[in-house]
Amino acid sequence: MSDTTPGGHSDDYGTELRAQQSSDAIASRLRQRDMKTRASVKLGEKVAKWVITIGGLMVIVAVLGIMVFLFRVVAPMLGGGEILGNVRYQLDTRQDTIWNNGDEFQTLGTVVAAEGRVITFHIPTGTEIARTQWDFNGAEVTAVAGTLARDRIALGFDDGTVRFAEVGFASTTTSRRNLPDGLRDLDARDRELDGRVFTEVGTGDFRTLSPVVSLGESQAISDSAIVALDYRIGGTRERPTLSFATVDAAGVLRVSRSRVTVNMMTGAETVDTTTVELPSLGLADGVSVTGILLSGSADRAIVATDDGVVFRYDLRNFDNPSLAEQRRVASEGVAVTAMTFLSGEESLVVGGEDGSVGVYFRLQTGTDATTDGRELVRAREHTPMPAAIVDLSEAQRQKEFSAVDADGNVWVYHSTSDRVLFELARSGDVTTPSTAMIFPRSNGVMLVSQGGEVEAWQYRDSHPEVTLGVLFGRIWYEGYSEPQFVWQSTAGTDLAEPKYSLVPLIFGTLKAAFYAMIFAAPIALMAAIYTSEFVHGRVRATVKPMMEMMEALPTVVLGFIAALVLAPFVEEWIAAVLLGFIAVPLGLMVGAFAWQALPPRIVLRYDGLPKFALMAMSILITAWLAYRAGPWFESALFDGDFKAWTTGRIGTGTPFMFIILLPLSYMAVAWGFRRVMGEFWRGRMRSMARHEAGRLDALRWLVLLLGAFVLSYAVASVLTLVGYDPRGGFVDSYQQRNALVVGFVMAFAVIPNIYTLTEDALNSVPGHLRAGSLATGATPWQTAMWIVLPTAASGVFSALMMGFGRAVGETMIVVMAAGNTPIMEWNIFSGLRTLSANIAIELPEAVKDGTNYRVLFLAALTLFIMTFVLNTIAELIRQRFRKRAFQL
Amino acid sequence: MTDILDPKFPPSGAAGAAGTVARETVEGGTARGRRVRVLSADLSAVGEPALWAFGGALALGIILIAAFLAMVAWNGFSTFWPKPIAQVELRDGTVIAGEPTRSGRYRPGDTVLTTLSDAQRAFIADKEGYSDRTLYKTANFDLHGNDFRWVSDFEVAEITFPPDFHLFERQQWGTFVGRVAGLTIDGQQRAFDHDLMQREQSAARDRFREMRRIERSEIGALNHRIEQERLAIRRAELRHGEGSPQAEALIAEAQANIAGFQQEFAALQARVAEIREVDRRHRVVLEDVGGRQVDTELSQIVRFYAANTVGPIDSLGIYLSRWWEFLSTEPREANTQGGVLPAIFGTVAMTLLMVIFVAPFGVITALYLREYAAQGRLTSIVRISVNNLAGVPSIVYGVFGLGFFAYTLGGSIDQLFYPEALPNPTFGKGGILWASLTLALLTVPVVIVASEEALSAVPRSMREGSLACGASKWQTIRYVVLPKALPGIMTGMILAMARGAGEVAPLMLVGVVKLAPALPIDGFFPFVHLDRSFMHLGFHIFDVGFQSRNSEAGKPMVFVTTLLLLALIVTMNATAITIRNRLKKRYAGGQF
Repeated sequence: MSDTTPGGHSDDYGTELRAQQSSDAIASRLRQRDMKTRASVKLGEKVAKWVITIGGLMVIVAVLGIMVFLFRVVAPMLGGGEILGNVRYQLDTRQDTIWNNGDEFQTLGTVVAAEGRVITFHIPTGTEIARTQWDFNGAEVTAVAGTLARDRIALGFDDGTVRFAEVGFASTTTSRRNLPDGLRDLDARDRELDGRVFTEVGTGDFRTLSPVVSLGESQAISDSAIVALDYRIGGTRERPTLSFATVDAAGVLRVSRSRVTVNMMTGAETVDTTTVELPSLGLADGVSVTGILLSGSADRAIVATDDGVVFRYDLRNFDNPSLAEQRRVASEGVAVTAMTFLSGEESLVVGGEDGSVGVYFRLQTGTDATTDGRELVRAREHTPMPAAIVDLSEAQRQKEFSAVDADGNVWVYHSTSDRVLFELARSGDVTTPSTAMIFPRSNGVMLVSQGGEVEAWQYRDSHPEVTLGVLFGRIWYEGYSEPQFVWQSTAGTDLAEPKYSLVPLIFGTLKAAFYAMIFAAPIALMAAIYTSEFVHGRVRATVKPMMEMMEALPTVVLGFIAALVLAPFVEEWIAAVLLGFIAVPLGLMVGAFAWQALPPRIVLRYDGLPKFALMAMSILITAWLAYRAGPWFESALFDGDFKAWTTGRIGTGTPFMFIILLPLSYMAVAWGFRRVMGEFWRGRMRSMARHEAGRLDALRWLVLLLGAFVLSYAVASVLTLVGYDPRGGFVDSYQQRNALVVGFVMAFAVIPNIYTLTEDALNSVPGHLRAGSLATGATPWQTAMWIVLPTAASGVFSALMMGFGRAVGETMIVVMAAGNTPIMEWNIFSGLRTLSANIAIELPEAVKDGTNYRVLFLAALTLFIMTFVLNTIAELIRQRFRKRAFQL
Repeated sequence: MTDILDPKFPPSGAAGAAGTVARETVEGGTARGRRVRVLSADLSAVGEPALWAFGGALALGIILIAAFLAMVAWNGFSTFWPKPIAQVELRDGTVIAGEPTRSGRYRPGDTVLTTLSDAQRAFIADKEGYSDRTLYKTANFDLHGNDFRWVSDFEVAEITFPPDFHLFERQQWGTFVGRVAGLTIDGQQRAFDHDLMQREQSAARDRFREMRRIERSEIGALNHRIEQERLAIRRAELRHGEGSPQAEALIAEAQANIAGFQQEFAALQARVAEIREVDRRHRVVLEDVGGRQVDTELSQIVRFYAANTVGPIDSLGIYLSRWWEFLSTEPREANTQGGVLPAIFGTVAMTLLMVIFVAPFGVITALYLREYAAQGRLTSIVRISVNNLAGVPSIVYGVFGLGFFAYTLGGSIDQLFYPEALPNPTFGKGGILWASLTLALLTVPVVIVASEEALSAVPRSMREGSLACGASKWQTIRYVVLPKALPGIMTGMILAMARGAGEVAPLMLVGVVKLAPALPIDGFFPFVHLDRSFMHLGFHIFDVGFQSRNSEAGKPMVFVTTLLLLALIVTMNATAITIRNRLKKRYAGGQF
């Protein structure tokens, strides 16, 4: 190597030289030469050395840097959230509070008290901003309920009437120059005037927030007091549907639905209200209703009782409601103390007297126990709280909810990831029972106790929906009948549950790589062995660059050909393609045995390129024959329609297993022949001339092949008889963009890779080993198989690993030809979605630093680590192999 | 292996099994021991079937490559050749007209079969349940809502090639197949005359180009200046504070400038309106095979020819002019027609920029590995890293490029240098600079490996000679080794460029777009805009093939683009390989 040169010590050159020169010699010169190395040269030397060393080591930095950077983006996702702070103060309510609401910027809060006092306050400081007194005409509030957004509430009274009210906030933007005078500073950020709060929002504009508080007319619903109530707004913004459900003291359940129609011409609103009485619950004595819940479109009502049972009403036929289901959610005597839907109304959260928090899905199970074939199924059981749950409140945009227990603990849960995000610590004694709300942006909780004490927390948890369990485990998602691995990061609506399981993507990646390697590995290895051991050096000099050029083919081109040319062709001619997989190898074998039977004169004369041309011809001819015979093959084995056959509707599994088992059967038959007649046969062949022996051998092969056919069919039939059918496993219904096409085209991309590396490895086996083997009488074939290949085995193995690494990371072919469905089945005829394709499809649309963004970075990190391990091992093996080959 | 070396047994092939059989015989002590070596043919030692399998694999590989290249070449080269327009009368009386695009064999499903007449069913039964069909490009998307139609052989009553059918390529709505029903020149009705129309059409195209030029360059320049002034206002506000006297002065100046530009703007628009007025008076009425008419400006016709009567010379002319259009103009019709000049430009610019980054890094690493580092654990780690850089999936580089270059680096640059444009990112998004940096990272292993090879091919005697003459190590490298290794290093660069030019996946994340409004290099200061998005040939293929309204309509374009990209890459690779082979020869006996 070059480090034997003395260059490394060149710094000392000048001094050494000078020392060696005697002063006499110097004096004797006519013109004295300056033998000192110039400072600039020395400096240049130093600079070059450092620059080059640092530059060289930059490669390591780059690899580590990529890994560290990816990890740094991913890391925040797996950490927990943090509490940014909390405040606590007492409001002047003087009465029990019954409702609270806060705006999405955590600026204003409104509290409604039982006797109609409504206080709006500044959340960070507790300063009162506005106060209103509602007049209930002497009635006493007995129940209260609000919509998901918390700004519309319904109040139920002891005289059986219901009133609607609004406790929302209005937000406008004012520019700096339109700001009114006389503003009062609330804190560093906010200023206040006449019940309006101004907050600067960065670009010189001010956000103005003001409370919107109003009370509607009373509506008589019942003769007795309302004990439970729920209120929802559904429908569209233009045509809202207001619905509310009531339970009165007599135990009568009613649901009312109001459709508001706005006349386009006059702008007048027409409200059209219908009320129906629900079928009786038939409760035992002493059991009472603890709550009622209504869905937004008023097609479903849930009623909870104090002995642990919930009732589900089916209201889809509004005029004729029915009691669909009765389900025990807690043990007998344990009251259901709180209930809520999570956003999207797919999950029902039930809190019990014993502190349990369970989530129920309404699933279509086809059961007879309910009238509509659906039932409530307990899908998740969250960490229970220490005491009875008194309040559950859902977040508006996440699958998050807060729970308050009788001891005054406040926990924030995330349902999908089954986490308790925060156990909020109270900064003072707990006095009276409280209710909590999660602010609309899921970044804070406001707790209001009955006595008017307010405590508000601000927290940050950007990725509550992701845990390692979510990423790599089975999760029971809303609407699914069981826990599954699902990837569905985005959906049509905001209310859908994002599903971030990387498992289907990793599965897809491995599936694609696996099918690619099935094609690529044999072809690449065999082609490399042939190139290295059996062809003339001149042929190699043209074939190898061609393969290298193939390595540089843009994969986008391959993907385009795969998806728009190959996939439709394979779909139309699938039977012919399958036949081709059998016919091409068979054709080559026919060629080989025919060649053996030729007289030695011809064999020797046409060995080399003509023989290679014959091989190519054989492939072309058999491929063409397979194309022609495809329809015949299809009707003979697959009832004339392979695609219908794959669905499992027609035919049996026998024909396919017959094909699959054919190679195995041949091996078995050949092995049996060798066991029984091998020695006799060899002895006999040796006594014959070579071409005669060849003819006999061809005959033997034909007989064996026939035997293999029979054996294979027999085994396949037996398998079918015992009930095994490949369909539903690695063969299933056919999709146009499938693993077969992807595997084939990806093999096309991987072959050059494996081929060149294998060829290099074989080539670096020292020539004297070959020469020695040949000299002792081994044929080239024996030399290749028993001398060269074992010596190069580690190099070949590392080539295969690198090929696999490339198949794992390939993107464009998969994006274009794999259909991109994240499903988990080994079916060779179905699509798949790989990590790489997923990144390419979703990352351009992902919001920076959002959950999807980070999960996609995790996908990239996973890919990086997968290939890092593969490549590092492969390179280590290769380095050792090189050393060994050098020593041989 | 021991079996072979053991002299007792013949060197039989498939050694394991055969050897065992022989050994058993010996150990069994059979009377006629087989110790005598028989030297006649043992077929299994030759391994002919295995040889054919090996050779077959190589042949298959070559056949696949050849077939692939041939298919791309055939489709790419034949796309632009004018094809005749067939008028097909179907048995149900419908008449369609279009270019036959391709044909194939298929099997009509049961649902189709039940709708057919007995004769047709017999026709299909004759062909064992299969039928041939032809895909006609019927064009006229604005009339029919689709461009293509499959026609099965059993549907056809008669196929003719009427001489008066023309093919019109239009600026909008794609091609039109049909006749000329009327010609209006300068407001006057004229009879159709091919030469007259040709003349008027080329004049109309000139007008069209003039309008386009004014709209694009002159109005574009004005818009650019107005935008600059707006940013200046914002900058003044940020720097001096809103409402401060300095800011007010600057703002007033900028606003005066804007007012001036807007006047120019109005003048230019008046000129465009004038030309458009003339343009409106030159019209042509096109009529499809069913008699439906489309009235359009003559300037909307990009090219037209009488498809069934055009001669070979004219065909060649059309063929070449289409190629020229492809190479020299911008795309139209959602990229499915027109040219790919911006994509060529983007690909080349990005690749060249990439080489600027990749060259020093790659060469320095190679120098380190070959000339400076002592071979040991550290170099082993460096080599593993190089190998990993080569093996990490390209999409991961894209992710890294987006996260690190665009968002982190670019975001910081925006904060520091372009605060006035925020929240619109300048460098904080994908762009040609980040794309080329990403690809530089991706292709650096190629350069390292090739440079290392080139450095090791420089004979040691040359180094030693230089050192012996008193040159320092760096001087030796600088004046002796590098010049000798330069061709080899260039090979590495070319290979890296080929790799970079063909890579698409990472670009999708770091700055490639389907239609770039502006090129990364133009006439506005600072002339090279490294922050801009760009178009790329590889992405163009993906986009047209998969994202356009009708992948069939885009297919010819995709094939031609593919051909272009392949030609580019194959040329680069072939050059690199040739240089390398010549170098190998030159240094073959270099050790003296």
